[in-house]
This record gives sequence, C-alpha cells and structure tokens, in this order.
Amino acid sequence: MEVSTVYTTQALNSTCSISTPAKTHLGSHQKQVVFYRRTTKSGSGGGSCVITCSAGDSQTVVIGLAADSGCGKSTFMRRLTSVFGGAAEPPKGGNPDSNTLISDMTTVICLDDYHSLDRTGRKEKGVTALDPRANDFDLMYEQVKALKSGVAVDKPIYNHVTGLLDPPELIKPPKILVIEGLHPMFDDRVRDLLDFSIYLDISNEVKFAWKIQRDMAERGHSLESIKASIEARKPDFDAYIDPQKQYADAVIEVLPTQLIPDDNEGKVLRVRLIMKEGVEHFSPVYLFDEGSTISWIPCGRKLTCSYPGIKFSYGPDTYFGNEVSILEMDGQFDRLDELIYVESHLSNISTKFYGEVTQQMLKHADFPGSNNGTGLFQTIVGLKIRDLYEQLTSSKTAAPLEATKA
Amino acid sequence: MATLGFNSFTITGALEKNPKLRLALFPCDKKGEKRVSRTSVKAMGAAKYKGTQMREKKLTEMIEKKVLEAKEVCEGDKTSDECKVAWDEVEEVSQAKADLRRTLQIEKKDPLESFCQENPETEECRIYED
Repeated sequence: MEVSTVYTTQALNSTCSISTPAKTHLGSHQKQVVFYRRTTKSGSGGGSCVITCSAGDSQTVVIGLAADSGCGKSTFMRRLTSVFGGAAEPPKGGNPDSNTLISDMTTVICLDDYHSLDRTGRKEKGVTALDPRANDFDLMYEQVKALKSGVAVDKPIYNHVTGLLDPPELIKPPKILVIEGLHPMFDDRVRDLLDFSIYLDISNEVKFAWKIQRDMAERGHSLESIKASIEARKPDFDAYIDPQKQYADAVIEVLPTQLIPDDNEGKVLRVRLIMKEGVEHFSPVYLFDEGSTISWIPCGRKLTCSYPGIKFSYGPDTYFGNEVSILEMDGQFDRLDELIYVESHLSNISTKFYGEVTQQMLKHADFPGSNNGTGLFQTIVGLKIRDLYEQLTSSKTAAPLEATKA
Repeated sequence: MATLGFNSFTITGALEKNPKLRLALFPCDKKGEKRVSRTSVKAMGAAKYKGTQMREKKLTEMIEKKVLEAKEVCEGDKTSDECKVAWDEVEEVSQAKADLRRTLQIEKKDPLESFCQENPETEECRIYED
C-alpha cells in the first residue's frame, strides 16, 4: 500500500513547494520528500537550495560485519551483495581509493573510514588501528544513524595506500547498509542500530595459514615476519576486537579440521555457524530436527566423497550466556553433487528455489572457501539476511508524513 | 620494464582444489562473457592504467620497507607500543596490496577504470604498457 501526501508550507520571505518524485535512483519503494526553497531577497542573490530527506517508512536495514584485517570480510561482502543481485562496485567517478562498495540494493562501508588518527597520528600516539582510541565512534554513530533514517551523509575516506584521511564522499541511504570492519559492535549506540550482526572468528592456526597464503608471494615477507605481525597485533586484537563476538547474532568460527590427524596445512577447515536464538526475523538453520543434536556424515551409499570427506553436526548450546544453535561442517566439497546433496538436507536456509545455495557457491567458485564451510555458511548467512530484509520491509506500514512547521 | 605479476596462491589453489567444480560453472558469467580457458592461470594482473601500476609498486615497496622498520623497532622491546604499531602498519599495507591484487587478478578490473573514464588526460590514467 503506498501513501503519497503533498504538503505546502509557507514561511516569511520564501516560497516553498513540495513534490514527491515518482521514482528515485534508490528504487521505487523509496519515498522522498523534497523541499525547494527559493529566497527572493535581493541581498542574498537568490538561488535555490534543495533539501532531501526521506519519509519514515524508508528505513535502511543495517548489517554489521566484524573481523580482523585480512580475515575474509571482502569475500563475505561479495557473496552477500551477490545474493541480492548485481555486483558491488566502488562509487563511480569519486576518489579511486574509496573503500566503499555500492550495488543496486546494498552499500558497504568500511569502518576504517572512521579512523580519527591517520597512520602518522597513530604512530605518534603509539596506537594500532585496532585500538578504539584511533576511531571516531561519535561520528560513526551519527552517520550510521543518519543513513538508517534515510539521510545522506558526507563520510570521510581513509586511504589505505597513503595512510591519510581524504576528503569525504557523499553516501546516499541504501536499502541495505553494511558496515564492515574491526569495530562494528564495539560502541553500544552503533550496536543498537544494527538489524543483524556477524562476527568472523578465525582461529590462530587458520589465520596464520591464510596470511601465509596472502603474503608469501610478497618480496618483503617471510614466515617470520608474517608470524611476528600476527603476534604483535594479538594483545590489541584480544582486548578490543575479540570481545565483540558475544554480541553477534551469527558467528562464523573457522578452525583446523579434525578429520585429518596432525594436519598443519590448514587447507581443510572445520567451520561452525553459531546462531543466536530469539533474534527477530532470524530463524537459525538446522539439520533434520530443530533443537535436537545431530551428527551427520553424508558420505556413504548414496554419496561418494573423496578423502577426508564431510562431517556435519548440529545442536543447541550456550555461547557467552546466550542460547544458540550451532551448525558445523568439517571437510571439503569435491563435487557439485555433494553440495546439492548437503543443501537438500538443510532446513531453514531461506532459499527461494531448490539449489539456490549451490548456484550461489558455483557463481563464485574462484572465491576462497568455495569448497568448504566458510563459503557455504557465508552464502547461507547472505540468504538469511535477504530473508530478514524482506521481513523487515514488509512489516513496515507506511507512516504518514508529519506536517512541516514553517 | 617492471613485471606486474606474481603467482597468487588463492587462484592456483582454488583451481587445483576444484577443477570439477569449475567445469560445472554456468557458461556465462555476470557480464555474459564466455569463459574461454578454464585451466590457464593468469598470473599477470589486469592493470591497465599507469596509476594502478604505480600503486602496486608503491605498496610492494612499502611492505618491504615497513617489515624492515618493524624488525628494527622490535629489536629492543617486543611488547612496546612502537613495536606493535610497526607490525600493524605492515598488516595494513599487506592487506591493501592483497585487495589490489584480488581486484586485478580475480575480478579482472582496474580500480581506476571509472575514475579514468572521467579523467582520461591525467598522468594516472595513461594506459600502462608492459
């Protein structure tokens, strides 16, 4: 049901008219109220200014994604935006070092843009980027709040190449706003704005293996330097970043496999999807019988898997005092039919058609984690977020516009 | 003549891990281009513009420099603030380099593409030739 209302206001020395454009760049569901104001005072030189704001029913859905640097947020972001359709691209024509990604439905903001100290500043003060003192949480809160209520903001840009804070870029409120970085859940005001939050919890061994994969090709790096970097950052990481996982609605925990004894290659992974119970608009994924405890090895007579195979488990648990359900996958997908077979046995995955998870995984087969639980659970969480978004937007009733006071 | 490319573990790893998975890909990717070669690994990135090549070079140099700096700073006290800040900088530039690498090699895009469409005459937007 659509509600369109036109108001006129009058004020001293100005003429105002209001119209609602039928379709905006944000899509036809987005309603906008546009004020045109023209001053006729000769002294000020005339001209018009346009103030754009949004009506109450166009609330942006805000998702928070937390992880350490280099821990798969970008891959997750790409999977997530892909679920909604379209590819996420940096803003066209703006600062080429912008960290922002924009697609039709989603805008992804990197929270590094809220650094209050640039690289030189942090060096002077002796704080890492992980330290809350290097970040402006007041600004983060104001801007996320503004975007959530449909107001565009001028957001700073932190340039990772130069280490400087660049002039701001205009961010228009999207349908879905994703804030990703080190501290999306650190500040409680920002946390309260999140409709859904995810934490990527990578164990030390896996983090080490991933960073080796990432950095070993670099001239400057060696095993020692990679190790030293992880260790030096660990105290700040443990103090400031890790505690956020207790607030997350979903945690994706990545550990070394238990299927291969003494495995130290870190290629086969054990991934746990820890889902908070009782979160509005979010029904946890389950295996076979919700709330029960299941151990499942799909490989057998119907499905042949190669070594080391696939093992699932599911069951209720508590996590930092919260009731959770945990779905766990250990092992690797080797073939398409394994993926489809597993998908067909999962429940509450919020797909729109049979095989949608498999299709999404195949679409990004060259992304890291496409053959194990990280890709699978990231894809599923993406579908759950789509489901949450659809529930949230359909439950909003059109709010009547309040009369403006002149 | 600087070389751009170096092997990325993630690409070769992914292809080695799931050759059969890749064969099951839908024939057209997002832009409607057909994938011509499924097994050849493009070690060279898709850097088209001089500005991107310069950024790559700068990040590579920064990684080297900052690793050396961190080793020096940490020789005294490994738990000092200076030491952890130094390694944090290494992490920051390593990740920035990895992000650039991913955009070039996996997404096959030059990050300066849209900027250079609007500003083709700048130094940064000269077409880089190998």
